[in-house]
Amino acid sequence: MQVDAPPEDNDNTEEDLYLVENPTLDLEIYANSYTGLARLYRLMYIADHCPVLRVEALKMAITYVMNTFNVNLYQQLHKKLQQCVSGMSLPDVASGGSQDVPSFDQTWVENKTKKAALKLEKLDSDLKNYKSNSIKESIRRGNDDLGDHHLDCGDLSNALKCYSRARDYCTSGKHVVNMCLNVIKVSVYLQNWSHVLSYVNKAESTPDFSEAQGKETSQAILTKLKCAAGLAELATKKYKLAAKQFLQANLDHCDFPELLSASNIAIYGGLCALATFDRAELQKHVIFSSSFKLFLELEPQLRDIIFKFYESKYAHCLKLLDEIKDNLYLDMYIAPHVNTLYTQIRNRALIQYFSPYHSADMNKMATALNTTVVALEDELMQLILEGQIQARIDSHNKILYAKDMDQRSSTFEKALNMGRDYQRRTRMLILRAALLKAQLCVKVFILIV
Amino acid sequence: MINSLAGNYRDLCDLLIKSTELLEKNGQHLDTVLETLDLQQHSLGMLAVLSIKLSLPPPSPNSNQPQVSDYQEIVFTQVQEFIMGCNAEQIRYAPETFAELCDMLTRQLIEAKSPLRGIELLCCAIRKLQLSDSELTLVHANLCLLCLLAKCFKPALQFLDIDITSIPPQDGFPFDVKHFLIYYYFGGMVYTAVKKYDRALYMFEAVISTPAMAVSHIMLEAYKKYILVSLVLHGKVSHMPKYTSQVVTRFIKPLSLAYHDLATVYATNNTEEVRLAVTKYSDTFTRDGNIGLTKQVVASLYKKNIQRLTKTFLTLSLSDVASRVQLSSPAEAERYILNMIDEGEIFATINQKDGMVVFHDDPEKYNSPGMLCKLEEEMTICTDLDRQIQRMEEEIMVNPQYVKKACGAQDDDLTTGQTSKISTYSM
Amino acid sequence: MTLDNLNTVAAELEKQELQAQGGVSSPLLYTKLLAIYLYQNDLCNAKFLWKRIPSSVKAGHPELELVWSVGRAMWKRDAPAVFTALNGTQWSENVGPIMRSLVGKVRERGLRLVAQAYSSLSIDTCSSLLGLSPSEVVEFANQQGWGVDDNKMMISPVRPPPPITHITSSEDQLHKLTDFVAFLEN
Repeated sequence: MQVDAPPEDNDNTEEDLYLVENPTLDLEIYANSYTGLARLYRLMYIADHCPVLRVEALKMAITYVMNTFNVNLYQQLHKKLQQCVSGMSLPDVASGGSQDVPSFDQTWVENKTKKAALKLEKLDSDLKNYKSNSIKESIRRGNDDLGDHHLDCGDLSNALKCYSRARDYCTSGKHVVNMCLNVIKVSVYLQNWSHVLSYVNKAESTPDFSEAQGKETSQAILTKLKCAAGLAELATKKYKLAAKQFLQANLDHCDFPELLSASNIAIYGGLCALATFDRAELQKHVIFSSSFKLFLELEPQLRDIIFKFYESKYAHCLKLLDEIKDNLYLDMYIAPHVNTLYTQIRNRALIQYFSPYHSADMNKMATALNTTVVALEDELMQLILEGQIQARIDSHNKILYAKDMDQRSSTFEKALNMGRDYQRRTRMLILRAALLKAQLCVKVFILIV
Repeated sequence: MINSLAGNYRDLCDLLIKSTELLEKNGQHLDTVLETLDLQQHSLGMLAVLSIKLSLPPPSPNSNQPQVSDYQEIVFTQVQEFIMGCNAEQIRYAPETFAELCDMLTRQLIEAKSPLRGIELLCCAIRKLQLSDSELTLVHANLCLLCLLAKCFKPALQFLDIDITSIPPQDGFPFDVKHFLIYYYFGGMVYTAVKKYDRALYMFEAVISTPAMAVSHIMLEAYKKYILVSLVLHGKVSHMPKYTSQVVTRFIKPLSLAYHDLATVYATNNTEEVRLAVTKYSDTFTRDGNIGLTKQVVASLYKKNIQRLTKTFLTLSLSDVASRVQLSSPAEAERYILNMIDEGEIFATINQKDGMVVFHDDPEKYNSPGMLCKLEEEMTICTDLDRQIQRMEEEIMVNPQYVKKACGAQDDDLTTGQTSKISTYSM
Repeated sequence: MTLDNLNTVAAELEKQELQAQGGVSSPLLYTKLLAIYLYQNDLCNAKFLWKRIPSSVKAGHPELELVWSVGRAMWKRDAPAVFTALNGTQWSENVGPIMRSLVGKVRERGLRLVAQAYSSLSIDTCSSLLGLSPSEVVEFANQQGWGVDDNKMMISPVRPPPPITHITSSEDQLHKLTDFVAFLEN
């Protein structure tokens, strides 16, 4: 059987550095919102980053993995658990703790391996049969079944191969979309985001995408595609695009535990929107969005954060944000982006706070933004240098003044600079023309004098 | 032996080249030959004889012969008289030989440790070779070299300040790219010495963006200086032009690691780190002769950081300035600010009573007659350049070769190679 | 020699230096050229001139060293040292007029800088920047109409009005404007 390391191992080495000490997460409920590899990967991520929940998460994962053919992962999980338990029992030997650790079941491993091989053999020969009879529809199904089985075994690359192979045997738009969804799912597991996006596009541009399906199913598929695309944009740090994708999801048709849960959508979409949308966009697409409102109901804390932000109650908003930070750190998809998103949200708050003022008292501003005047000064300095706030700091009196831009002068200045730039480039161009005309070219190594 | 009268100089040149061996054999009689030649009428003949004379080792001193230094002095005077008085029209038939003569003279002067003496001579030599001010000659590089060694830059600047627009072939062969690279490299060094960093950057950029299929050592050195000057001038490494040869990016970058590291650290605006980087690589910088320039880089970061402050603050205490830009004391901060005000690099007023500094915007309102004048000047330069480009384009449009190729490409539109060749004219 | 045609004098001296027999000029030439560079505030060229003067010439002619000590102080922007070096020397006839008017020139520049860069400064700082004694500074400040606070020994300079620039003839401007329009039309 092919050995496929879970994707976290190769990708998240940098993020592995932090540990979450005080999560407020109900692991049981959390785990139950996912199925398949999504549940396993998420549990493993928590185990890696939260010592308090480590044993419990691993145990849950082991119980769950035993329903699948993923023998490889079973062995890995056991190894991790073993390390963790032996490490723990050294300082204080808790009698209860280590007792209910499931023991490694060698017979299960052997049984499953055998069964998996048998099933693979059967599916393979079925497919060969279909092929010799060249019944397109059966071949497509055969490939899909084989893909499903590989996925069940945790063999992602072979699963991807089988699902993709089904493509040649699609006879309707529905089949194409179905194939795309399968490929997208596996690509998400593999964290191959460009693949995800291109297959989302492919599915969306399938000609009879909307008609081919019933209205209900097409909504469900659309939501699925939007979420997968959102995930891909998030992972590649295109937060605004991610927000836009997630905001198009529909709660009533939101059912794909093999990828993410409805509350994930709320959090990913909500945070990305908060970090990248301006006030008007936030109002129109988030706060007044009837469909996204339903998502926010699932995450009341986040809903409060967004509303407080919109009401300009920044101190409260920032405090609430801090409270949910630990839980976000345990989410494998958003965790690497939490710090960036938080900084962006903070900056946006600063910019919005100051936008109506001509001058602002930095003491008041610091209180309103939950920070000290000194730290605020540094933050403001950065924003001014980046051109995000047009203002100057009167450090003597601790007042921030809006800077009135003299359009006329700056236009003159720009024009002069542009002119000089033009002169320089044109001179270089003329020189280069002379060079080429004289056929000058460095052909051999030349030493100085 | 050699008689050059008005007539076909081209044939004469060929004849002279053939006579080289003969002249070399009769080294001791060269002076006699020279005496028979007339400076104006027989410039080409004298050029040939003098070239041979300079290439021969000085005669070993004995009772009748003068000392080596005296001999060289005599030769110098002979060459001097020749360069000053020769017929420009004639020597333009043998620019390479003439440049070689200048080159030998340059070398002798460097050896004699009196580079200053050759400067005026080479200036004269360049003018004799040039048909126009903007023409590059093989002597340009030598002049820059002498000026650098003599630490006397004004004579070189009068040539450097004129942009080169034509690079003529030499004795029928293309101009040797080496001289081009050296001239622009030395030119960059001259401008760096007189602190005209924008021109220096331009010169170094010209070197590294020269068409190349192989790496040149000069390009490597120019690239290092390009990075440093770029930091001093713009606070970051300017992008190289798109048409820079792949070779440069591929081979030169890995060879200038220390410089890239410095640039990376510079980007953090942390003066302490930059100092550390300079110390860390001081061996490399010293070996490359760039240690002075790296000191300028460090100093420029202090200035840049103060400029950043002026963009963000209206008022700031001197002690805050000192701590924010990592200067040792408020007094040092005051000194920096004072100097920058003097140089017109920032606009600020210091209040010693409160120990504060107030930053202002550029007071330029673009409404004075002086500014109008400046604008007009800049516009004139731009329009002149534009006209020049137009002239060049017209020249190409009527070039028979171009017309032939342009039409040829239309006849046979599958051969895209031809069109791409033409496009190199317009870079 | 008047100070007006220093540029021509400098150009002439530069030429002579290049033509000097054996590449070494007279100490008088070097000293004078150096002084003129300082007067022109062309410190870069002054520095390189100093560097290229043969050490034998420097050794034989102490005034050269004295002129450069002014230059060195100017290079380091050490105003007090500039004035000490300038005032502490009895200059020869060769450079005397130049060096004596250099004092005024440097003070003028210092004055402009003080007025531009300070809204208030101590009398001490001011006196070192202008090379005047504290009492002279107070007197001078009163003359200029600057505020003087005797208790705290502080002076508050007044910013100078922007310099009035010459106005070009309108005919000339019209001509240029026509040029630009003609260019844009083509």
